[in-house]
Amino acid sequence: MSKWVTGRFIHAVFITGLLVGWMLALPVARAGDASAGADVFKAECAECHSTKEGRNKKGPSLFGVVGRTAGTLPGYAYSDAMKQVHWVWSPEKLHDYLSQPARQAVPGGKMKYDGLSDPKQLEDLITYLSTAH
Amino acid sequence: MSSRLNWRTSCRPRNLHLWYGLAALPLLASTTAHAVPAYARQTGSACADCHAGAYGPALTPYGMRFKANGYTDTDGNGFKIPAAMQITGMRTVPTQGQSTSQLSEADLYLAGRISDQIGGYVKVQSTNGGDNKFNTQLSDMDLRFVAKELKFGGKEATIGVTVNNNPGFSDPVDALPAATENGPPTVSGTLLNPSSSNTLAHRVIGASVYALYDNDWYGEIGTYNSLPTSMQDHLGYSIAGDPGKLSDTGYVRFAYMKDLKRQFFSAGLVGLTTRRQLPRTGPTEDVTDLGYDFTYQYLGNRENILQLAYVNILERRRYATTPLGALPGLVAQPNGSVHDQTLTLSYTFKQSYGVVVSHLVSSGTHDIVRFVPYGDPDTTSNSYTLFWAPFGKDDSFTSIANLKLAATWFRFTRYNGSATNIFGVDPESGAVITDARDLDAFLLSASVAF
Repeated sequence: MSKWVTGRFIHAVFITGLLVGWMLALPVARAGDASAGADVFKAECAECHSTKEGRNKKGPSLFGVVGRTAGTLPGYAYSDAMKQVHWVWSPEKLHDYLSQPARQAVPGGKMKYDGLSDPKQLEDLITYLSTAH
Repeated sequence: MSSRLNWRTSCRPRNLHLWYGLAALPLLASTTAHAVPAYARQTGSACADCHAGAYGPALTPYGMRFKANGYTDTDGNGFKIPAAMQITGMRTVPTQGQSTSQLSEADLYLAGRISDQIGGYVKVQSTNGGDNKFNTQLSDMDLRFVAKELKFGGKEATIGVTVNNNPGFSDPVDALPAATENGPPTVSGTLLNPSSSNTLAHRVIGASVYALYDNDWYGEIGTYNSLPTSMQDHLGYSIAGDPGKLSDTGYVRFAYMKDLKRQFFSAGLVGLTTRRQLPRTGPTEDVTDLGYDFTYQYLGNRENILQLAYVNILERRRYATTPLGALPGLVAQPNGSVHDQTLTLSYTFKQSYGVVVSHLVSSGTHDIVRFVPYGDPDTTSNSYTLFWAPFGKDDSFTSIANLKLAATWFRFTRYNGSATNIFGVDPESGAVITDARDLDAFLLSASVAF
């Protein structure tokens, strides 16, 4: 194969890789159903959380949570454990956190939640949270 | 009819106002609520998070956990004054008698946490007895001391102590008659039914120790003693309703509660036993209540909530005396039983609009001497309520206060053992004959809690 063709191929792969990486990083580019996710939120989360900006309840407001650093929302009294995790609530991190008991994911945290085992509901929920911004 | 189990019964009931008063008790009680805005401020939760209709008293599973944890949960954002008020206006339209429109009740709630281990619920109730004469009483009181987030066998547990004045009010499921204030109207009901004459409700003081294990299993055991009559009077209660001197009193409550987020169900048992002297210097009777209850809630995404509750309490009595009847040869039975059942179905739309239907039955063993004139205390009634509570949700004008407008129809199909001529009036005497349906009433109420 000529150097020109090889170079073009590598260029195309690189551009494609950039595009795929960018799309995966986009919080709105989720496969779930946001409307169904709203229902999941109401059943599983709404007792303690709101997606309204500035509305803290027993848990912090989840407005703009996707992409936020954990434990940093002003005006909410986080546990020391949550303040020290220093991770970002990416969709993947939310997926990992919400699929297990909250106190297993963050020992010493305030949140009491047994986790969501249904993968579709979890995906829908994260998609819904991605729209709350 | 005398409300005292051990006294010789009179041939004809006196004081018809007492009858209407007895019948009206659950009418008034069912339109008031235990929804407390102070708890909403303390937790940051909306009213609707703990109460399906955003106004109470029925609890969601989240509300049940808040109660079982001693009313101490918080949003961590500093101290909130643990006080709230409720004001209720009511128009009452009885089938017989005058219609009234009045400010019917004003309540002060001292409710909330003092610390992470101490919390409570205290309701001071001021009721309009007519002509704007208000009688102030200490209503329900439930003080808690809790140890939360304990670990046994890898599972979470809460252990607590409740000091309260109403057997059954501490129920975490909020299904027992003391908690719902919806015990059946009755001529002679169970100890656990606040509608009973000489009820224990608010005239006793007791303590129980309880545990909630793994969020599912609840057990409580305790005891009660009646307050001195002078204290009952001081707290706003007529001593004519004294429950008597109690001894060897035990209370137990067990419940299995399963929160499946979109659904909830529970099954429970309750027991209360005592030896009672009424009057306080008189002989002793043995009374034991045993009951079971089931509840089911469909919660879904909270757009449509359905709640079903059934409570069945049987009381066995060994009476202290066997009085003679009016006719020769008639003697009261030495033992007897009474039976209270309540079935309630409620539907709430958008946590704002709702309908509640209750079927209430109180019955007892036949005793021609104790239950005059028909020998049966059987009473059957139904209530139908439509309500609207516009606020108290996260997206409302306010999430921590509410207004409730309600219309209730109360229908009696049987009272004092009969559907007709419930007081056994001699038709030839010219006195008014009262049928069960003459006790029917319609209520319109507006309550605001803040």
